[in-house]
Amino acid sequence: MITDVCAWTGTWNTLDAPGDVDSVRAGLRVYGVERIFLSPLAAAWRPNPHIDNQRVYEAAGRYPNIRAVPVLDPTLSGWERELDRAVRHAATPMVRILPAYGGYTPDDLDVFCAAIGKTRLALAVQVRMEDPRRQHPLAQVPDVRVEKIADLAQRHPDLTTVIAGASTAALRNLRDKLCTLPNLYADVSQADGLDALVTLVDAEITHKLLFGSHTPLFVTASAVARVVNDLNDKDATVILSENAARIFRV
Amino acid sequence: MDLSALRALVRPHGPVLDVHVHPLSCFGPYRIGSIREDAHRLIETGKRSGVTKMCVFSLYPSCPYEPTPAQCREANDYVLAMRDEAPETFLPFCYVTPVFPDEATTEIERCVGGEKMAGIKLWVARRATDPGLDPIMEKAVALDVPVLQHAWLKTTGNLPGESTPEDVADLARRHPAARIIMAHLNGAGYRGIEALVDTPNVVVDTSGGDPESGMVEVAVARLGPHRVVYDSDAPIRHFGTTLGKTLGAVLPDTVKRDILWGNAVRILHLAGDA
Repeated sequence: MITDVCAWTGTWNTLDAPGDVDSVRAGLRVYGVERIFLSPLAAAWRPNPHIDNQRVYEAAGRYPNIRAVPVLDPTLSGWERELDRAVRHAATPMVRILPAYGGYTPDDLDVFCAAIGKTRLALAVQVRMEDPRRQHPLAQVPDVRVEKIADLAQRHPDLTTVIAGASTAALRNLRDKLCTLPNLYADVSQADGLDALVTLVDAEITHKLLFGSHTPLFVTASAVARVVNDLNDKDATVILSENAARIFRV
Repeated sequence: MDLSALRALVRPHGPVLDVHVHPLSCFGPYRIGSIREDAHRLIETGKRSGVTKMCVFSLYPSCPYEPTPAQCREANDYVLAMRDEAPETFLPFCYVTPVFPDEATTEIERCVGGEKMAGIKLWVARRATDPGLDPIMEKAVALDVPVLQHAWLKTTGNLPGESTPEDVADLARRHPAARIIMAHLNGAGYRGIEALVDTPNVVVDTSGGDPESGMVEVAVARLGPHRVVYDSDAPIRHFGTTLGKTLGAVLPDTVKRDILWGNAVRILHLAGDA
């Protein structure tokens, strides 16, 4: 069963992408994605991103194959309540943070991470939503440095940490940390380039990679193609489904 | 769904002509020991995603923004040697710089007139509004080959010599008999597509940036189904990831086939060659 750990619902400021829950779900189903970790796109731009989490909880309530991945803002009063809400939703496997959109860095998150580490939830840290060269000129958001995410994972060994939306080169450069930190993982939602997945498999980090599509901002077929075109059945299956099943016990 | 069914879903059903490929020696972490190895690795990775033919051009190994004529010549010799390795796959383009118009036209005469290269490549030495491009475009028209012009519209700011889609539209109006392929649909975005609406001698290629949803559909809607061609910009991007923009688009199969093959065959005057 293919698990997409990086899917979204809602609208985006620079793209006309069909982001309602039913369209996202149907579009992923075409490519055999049967389990969807869903986050709200609007959370990136809200002063209070917690408001938008209701949408993904409702979606998860409607469809058993959707798992709500709420966006939390650790600089916002009441994040503890929002974390508790996520914990109480039995089907929620992780929470997501968008540090660059919230104006903070992974350096500032020790209290927050310690709190998540005491729960069953994982933490996804979004590196980028879109190429900075393609952003709206009045809404430019830099990437989060992946090294900072690795440092965070190192400081919080009880917290399963997923790097979301990093480039192939960034993941290749982080190879040693991905190998040595048992709680650090990465999705491949923005790992592009010729032989992208081959180079990551050759770097012996297959067991640390999770399939993500970045649907609906990116084309689902593109995300699937770079996994299944280049990898053998065993490695493709590990990335498409087995790692998620093991890490999230789904 | 098993993996073979999934693979079939993301593979094209017909031939694919990729109009924008670079040798591995130009970009990325690839350790390439020879031109032969470069050629065959590109062929192998392209085949895995369903790419049949490739227009290939080198920007010289260090990719200088303002290459010398000697560097252009060396880059062109490289892709000619790639064609020698696999003439059924590679259609080399001649890389020149408008900083040296006289040398550029001499090199085009050597590569296109003499060696029968399939087109001309222009990158970021000068914007497409620069008069240094004019003799190059005139030579392209005389030799009946298309010109592939790089373009982007970067929020973070273009390079000094980097063309915008508006610059390419200006070039097309100055040279209405020229056939122009503007590179990087996803780099141009919605604004860039609009700049090309009234320049019928320009087609846009589907590379540049991430596989954003809906961009190919907008290009087809605004420019028409015959003014969009597939390209990967490999090795910077993955053949299959870029193919997914077209294969995953909400478009009729006939339009997808034109984007992946028919339109490029027409522009390159390869009609009947499958």
